[in-house]
Amino acid sequence: MSASALSGKTPRGAAGRRGLALGLYVAAALAAIAAVLVIPLSAYSLNLLMQAATYAIAVLGLTIVLGYTGQINLAQAAFFGLGAYSVALGTTAFALPFWIALAIGVLIAAGAGAVLGLTSLRLGGHYLAMVTISFQTILTLVLTNWVAFTRGPDGVPNIRRPVLLAESGPYLGLCIAALFAVAWFVWRLKTTKLGRAMQAVRDNELAANVVGVDAYATKVAAFTLSALLGGFGGALFAGGFAYVSPDQFSFAESVVFLTMVLLGGAAAPPGAVLGTGLLILLPEWLRFLKVIYLAVYGGAVILIMVFMPDGIWGYAMTLWHKLRPERPFDPGFIAPLALTRETAREDGSVILSVHGLSKHFGGLKAVDEIDLTICRNTVHALIGPNGSGKTTLLNALNGIVRPTGGIIKLEGVDVTRLPPHRRAGLGLGRTFQNIRLFGAMSVLDNVMVGAEQPHPLPTLPRERGRVNRNTLPRLRGRVGKGAGGLERHALAALDFVGIAARAGARVGSLSYGHQRLVEIARALAGRPKLLFLDEPGAGLNHVEKDELVRLLKRLKGHGLTIFIIDHDMAMVEQVADHITVLNFGKRIADGTPSEVLRHPEVIVAYLGEERPALSRSHGAS
Amino acid sequence: MALLELENVVAAYGNIRALQGLTLAVEEGEIVALLGANGAGKSTTLRVISGLMPPQSGMLRFAGRSIGGLSPGAIVKLGVAHVPEGRRVFPGLTVRENIILGGSNRERPGRAELEADAEKMFGVFPEIKPFEAALGWTLSGGQQQMVAIARGLMSKPKLLLLDEPSLGLAPLIVQQVYRVIADIRRDGTTVLLVEQNAHMALSVADRGYVLETGQLVVHGKPEALWDNEDVRTAYLGGRRT
Amino acid sequence: MGFNLQLLFTGIGVGSIYALVALGFALIYRATNVVNFAQGDFAMLGAFAMVVLAIDLELPYWLSILITLVLLVGFGALFNLGVYYPLRNRSFLPVIISTIGASILLENGVLAAYGPRPQSLDSLFAVPGFSIGDVFFDSQYIVILVVTIVMVALQYVFFERTLIGKKMQATSQDKEMASLLGIPVMLTIMITFMYSAMLGGLAGILVAPVLFVTVGMGSSIALKAFAASIIGGFGDVTGAIVGGLALGVIETFGAAYVSVPYKDAFAFLVLFGFLLVRPQGIFGERISEKA
Repeated sequence: MSASALSGKTPRGAAGRRGLALGLYVAAALAAIAAVLVIPLSAYSLNLLMQAATYAIAVLGLTIVLGYTGQINLAQAAFFGLGAYSVALGTTAFALPFWIALAIGVLIAAGAGAVLGLTSLRLGGHYLAMVTISFQTILTLVLTNWVAFTRGPDGVPNIRRPVLLAESGPYLGLCIAALFAVAWFVWRLKTTKLGRAMQAVRDNELAANVVGVDAYATKVAAFTLSALLGGFGGALFAGGFAYVSPDQFSFAESVVFLTMVLLGGAAAPPGAVLGTGLLILLPEWLRFLKVIYLAVYGGAVILIMVFMPDGIWGYAMTLWHKLRPERPFDPGFIAPLALTRETAREDGSVILSVHGLSKHFGGLKAVDEIDLTICRNTVHALIGPNGSGKTTLLNALNGIVRPTGGIIKLEGVDVTRLPPHRRAGLGLGRTFQNIRLFGAMSVLDNVMVGAEQPHPLPTLPRERGRVNRNTLPRLRGRVGKGAGGLERHALAALDFVGIAARAGARVGSLSYGHQRLVEIARALAGRPKLLFLDEPGAGLNHVEKDELVRLLKRLKGHGLTIFIIDHDMAMVEQVADHITVLNFGKRIADGTPSEVLRHPEVIVAYLGEERPALSRSHGAS
Repeated sequence: MALLELENVVAAYGNIRALQGLTLAVEEGEIVALLGANGAGKSTTLRVISGLMPPQSGMLRFAGRSIGGLSPGAIVKLGVAHVPEGRRVFPGLTVRENIILGGSNRERPGRAELEADAEKMFGVFPEIKPFEAALGWTLSGGQQQMVAIARGLMSKPKLLLLDEPSLGLAPLIVQQVYRVIADIRRDGTTVLLVEQNAHMALSVADRGYVLETGQLVVHGKPEALWDNEDVRTAYLGGRRT
Repeated sequence: MGFNLQLLFTGIGVGSIYALVALGFALIYRATNVVNFAQGDFAMLGAFAMVVLAIDLELPYWLSILITLVLLVGFGALFNLGVYYPLRNRSFLPVIISTIGASILLENGVLAAYGPRPQSLDSLFAVPGFSIGDVFFDSQYIVILVVTIVMVALQYVFFERTLIGKKMQATSQDKEMASLLGIPVMLTIMITFMYSAMLGGLAGILVAPVLFVTVGMGSSIALKAFAASIIGGFGDVTGAIVGGLALGVIETFGAAYVSVPYKDAFAFLVLFGFLLVRPQGIFGERISEKA
C-alpha cells in the first residue's frame, strides 16, 4: 500500500507545498519592505521599527544558543556592541565603506564568541554565565575608558550609511530584509544535522555524546553563531541610529535581550520576534512605566520562569499540539535496515579486548584489574550483585569515565582515551539503564541523530530523490533536503524494533517499553559493530521482556555483537552465549551460562554463604 | 493488629511501576526480611514506608495509623527510622555529630540528653568509639554502617527499616553487622530488613517476603523459603530450563 | 614600602567586603546548589536602607544598623519564598535566570524609588583614622576588618558548636538523609537564605561610608564575590574568605600600579585565568564533567 494513495497527493505535492511556503514568505518580506517605503512614517516610528528589527536579529542569536542548545549567554549586548562599534568607527574614523565595516563587525563578534566559547564551554552552567557577564563588563569598561580609540562615553556620532540607503525608509527596508533572512536561516537550522545535534545536547548532553555528537564542538558552534548574529544586529543598529555610545551595550541590555527571548519563547524563531516586538512596543504604550520598566523586566523574568518557562509562543505551541490528536503515521514501504558495516560471522574473532581495567574513586576500587574479551557476533552478558562495578565498567568501555588503568582495544585499535563520540564513530553503540532520550524531539528525530552522527551515511545516488515526501509531511520538524536517505534509514531502524508507526510522536508520550525501543533504534541507526545494553529489561513486564529477547536474537542474527548488563537471570540465560561475573569490582567468573551459573563463587556472591555459622537468635520461633 | 501493614500499595517513578499492589505485614518484635533481585522493588518499599516517596494507591498503616502520604519528618516522629541504602553518613560531620543528629525527631532535644544517648550508642557499638571525632568520609564501609545504624537507633524507633546493610561489605564485617541486628531485636525494636544477600537475611529473620518486579511471589518462614525453588530462580534464573 | 603597606591594608579592607558577600553566596550554594546572582544586591539594599534610615529619617546610627539587619533578614525570607522555592525542583538554568531577574528587579526598583543620584553616608567616627609611620589606617576600614573577623568567628562557632548549625551542615551535605532524620529541610534552607541576606546587608552597611552608594554597587560587588569564589573554590567557606581577601589585594595593587579605570577588570582577568587553569579554585574539589 503506497502512501500516496493514502494522502491522495502526488509525490511532487510536498515539495510543491514547501516551495509555496517559501514563496509566500518572500512575498511577505517584500510586502513589509514595500509598506515602509510607501507608508509615510514619522522618524520616531521608523527608529522604533529599526530598533525592533535589529534587536530581533540579536535575539534570534539567543534562540540558537539558549533555545536550541540550552546554553546561557549573558553577553549578547557585548557582541551587539562589537558589531555596532565596528560600523561606527569603521565608517567614521577609518572611512571604510559601510558593507566592509559591517563584515568586519560580524567577524569580530563571531571571533570573540568563538574564543569565549572555546575557553568556557567545557565547564557548565553557572561558570558560563559568569564568564559571559565578566566579558560583558570588561567590554563596557573598555568602550567607556579607551577614549583614544572608542571616543569614550561621548560615543561615536555621524555614522555613515550606504549611499543608496541614506534615507531612513530604505534603510529600514534593509533591516527588515535582513530580519526575514536571518529568521529563515534560524528556522531551517533546526532541521539540519547541526540543529538536531544542538537540540540533542540541550536535552541530554551525555546521551548526545554517546551517540556520536561532539557536544563541545556543537556548543562552541552555537555560541559562535549567537555572537555572529549579535554582531550583525549591532552593525545594522549602528547604521540605523547613526550614533552609538557605551551605555547602549551594557549588561542591562543583555538582560533585555534575555527577557525578550524568554518572554516570546526560546525554542523557535517566532518566539524571538514576538518577544522583541512586545518588549519594544510595550514600553511605548506603557510610557508611564518608563522609569521602572527595567524593574518590571526583572520581575517578569522571574514570573516567566515560574509560570511560563516556554514563553508565549512555546505555550501556544503546547496547547496547539494538545488539541491536535497525533496522526497515525503510515511510513509506507520501508526497506530493511542495513545494520552492520561489514558482514559479520560468529567466527570467534575478538571484537573488544580489555586488559587490566581499573577505575578508582579515591580509595574505592569500583573496578579492579578486569580482563575481558568479547567475541564477534556473540551475546556477552555482564552480571553481578548490586555495587559490583558493572555500570562503572560499562561507562569506562563507553568513554564516559576515564579508567585509572588498563587498556581497551576495539578491533585492535586502542580506544582507552577516546571521548565517547569518537568511540561511537568507531562502531560502539549504547543504551542506558535510565532511558536517555532527547525529550523535546520527536521519535524520528531522536533516531536521526543516532543515524547521522558522527558521520552521515553515504547516500547512494539512485536512492536520492526517491523519497516519497507524502509519507513524511506531518512530522514535527520538517524534512531537510537531501536527508531522504537519512530518514529512511532512521525509519528502518524504528521498523526493526517494531515502532515505526510512532515515528512522528513526541518521545514523552510513549510508554516506558516503547521509549526503551526508541533508544535501541537510535543506537542501531548508527550502524554499530558492538552494542552495549545497560539493563534493557529494567521496568519491562514479562511480555515486553519476551519481545526484547526476540529482538536481541534477531540482532545477533544480523551480525551484531551485543554486550548486555541485566539482572533478570532467566532472560540472560536465554540470550547469552557468554557471561562474565563481577563482585566487588573483580571478575569472579567467566564462561558459558551453564558453567557460570553453577559456579560456587557466583552462587555465594548472589545468595550469600551457605548457612553461616551465626548463632540463630530466633528466640521463640 | 500488626505494627506495620501494607495493603495493595502501588508506587511509580514517573512511567515505571515499581510496586504493583504489594501487601505485607510486620508484627511487633519481629525481624522480617524483604528479599529479591535488583529492581524487584525492595528499596522502593522502604522509601514508601518512610515517606520519601508517596504511594499512588493502597493502604499503609503503622500502629493503626494511616501513614501514606505523610512527610518523612512526620513519620520518623511516629517511630519509624529508615537507614537507607549506601549508609549515607554525613561526610563532613564527625561520627559523634552524625549520631547526635539521629535524635532530631525528638520534641525538645536537649543537648545534654542527646550527648548522653550518644554515649549509650557507643556502648552498643564499641568498635566505633575510637572514631568518634573522625569525619564521616574517612570511615570504612563497615564503620559507616555501624554509625548509620546507631544514628537510626537514636530516634528511639519502634520500627527500624534497614536497606541492604551488607552492601559492599566484606563477609566478616557483614557478620558483625548482623550480630548487631539480632541484638536490636532483642532490645525490643522491630526490624524490616531489605537484603540481596538472602542467606544472611534469612539467618536472622523470623519471616521473609520475596519480591519480583514489584510484586510478592512467596513468603514464609526462613527454612521454607530456603528450600523454595522460586527463591532460587528469583535470584539466579533457570525457570525456563 | 609604606605605600605598599598602605595598599595592602586597603586591599584587605576591600577584600573583607568581598569575603562577606562571597560567604553568603557560598552558604546558599552549599545548601541549595543555586548560584544566587542577586547576592550583591543584598549589600546594595543594606547600604540604601542605611541612607534612608540614618540620613532621611535621621534615626540614630546604631538603631539604623539594627533595623537594616532585621529588614535584610526578612528580605532573605521573602527572596527564598519568591525566587528559590517555586523553582527548587527545576534544573539550574531557570533558577539562574530567575536570580538574575531578581537582581534586575531589585536594582531598578530601588532606582525607581530613589533616583539615580549616588548617595553618601558619613562615617560614624569623628576621628578619621590614625597613622603609623607612612601608613594611614582609616577608621572605617579598621571597622570593616574587625567586623569581618568577628562575623567569621561567630559563624564558625554557630556552625561548629550549635545543634542548629550542625543540622544546617547536614542539610547541605545530604538533604534527603537529613529529612529522614526529622531535620526540617525547608526551614533550614529558609534560615540559610535569611542569614546570607543578612551577611550581604552587613557588607553593605560596612562599605556605605567608604564608597558612593549607588544602585549598581551590588552587581559590581557580586561579580567580584563570584570571582573570589572561583579563586577560593566554589561553595567552600574558607575559600570564600581567602578568595575575597586575595581579590581585594590584587585589585588594589592593580589599580595603583597598572590602571585605575580598569580596576574592575582585574577581578575578571583573574577569574578567566583560574577558569582556564584551575577551575576548582584553591580549595575546591576537582570539577568532573557531568556524567
